[in-house]
Amino acid sequence: MDSTMSRRSPEQMAARRDRSGSVWLVQAFSGLILVALLGIHMIAHHYIVEGGLRDYQQVLDYVSNPIIFTLEVLFVILGVTHSMLGVRSIIGDMRPSAGTLRVANWVLIIAGALAIGYGIYLAVALQQLAG
Amino acid sequence: MPDIQPTTDKARPKSSLKAWFHPRGRSISTIAFALNRLTAIGLTLYLFLHLVVLSQLLRGPEGWNSFVSIAKSPIFLTLDVILLFGVVYHMFNGIRVALVGMGVANQRQKGLFYGLVGIALILFVVGAVLIYTK
Ligand code: HEM
Repeated sequence: MDSTMSRRSPEQMAARRDRSGSVWLVQAFSGLILVALLGIHMIAHHYIVEGGLRDYQQVLDYVSNPIIFTLEVLFVILGVTHSMLGVRSIIGDMRPSAGTLRVANWVLIIAGALAIGYGIYLAVALQQLAG
Repeated sequence: MPDIQPTTDKARPKSSLKAWFHPRGRSISTIAFALNRLTAIGLTLYLFLHLVVLSQLLRGPEGWNSFVSIAKSPIFLTLDVILLFGVVYHMFNGIRVALVGMGVANQRQKGLFYGLVGIALILFVVGAVLIYTK
């Protein structure tokens, strides 16, 4: 770990406002926001509750709180976006052909959209079940 | 840390999947990167599994509560501990990668790595104890 470990300086960043650079920034910023969202999610679901996990009624009560509902929806949107972009960059590192990358992009977009759509549907359905 | 680069950085060495995880002769930076990637893949698989499991909630109290009782078995708790390791490592190493990639604390990357991964390890131990005892 010497000085060669340093990465792009802000100047270098500014000089490289290409598409891949901004995709990486989305990845990094979404990761930083996920620290709070994933932290809250894990502590609230797994550490606060006596016995470790919420039972059915406790889950409904929890998700029916509008602030928690909003945080959970944000969490699923950012978590899925971050991870799909991440998988895309892993695939990109394997030097795929342009055709393979195109297919991978579509698979990731569809999988990500389905996961986000389903996650939001689940949160709304639970809120309605809670009455 | 020449190997730890933003994924899209042109300077990043491109190599086959196997080479990323070959530990022999590798520096801590390469191991840090490989572990970040490994935990990232694990977390992504878990995210989808988690969404599928949550569908039990739509089956009403029986479906969910019987899942919760299975999830409290020792095997599941051990899987939870493995998951916790993935979360805290990827989270705290990810903070370093994000900050350094944005040009923050470039010159203090080594300290940042040990400091953040140290916090991650402490949280991991505390969290693992809580998983088994709570
Ligand atoms: C909790 C806070 C998190 C932070 C701070 C974070 C941060 C980061 C950063 C900075 C990268 C870029 C790595 C690089 O360019 O070398 C990354 C990659 C990635 N992350 Fe996260 N992340 C977080 C959570 C998650 C979660 C919850 C998932 C999955 C559900 C995930 C999946 C991925 C994937 C698949 C990659 C690509 C790995 C690679 O390029 O080597 N991350 N993360």
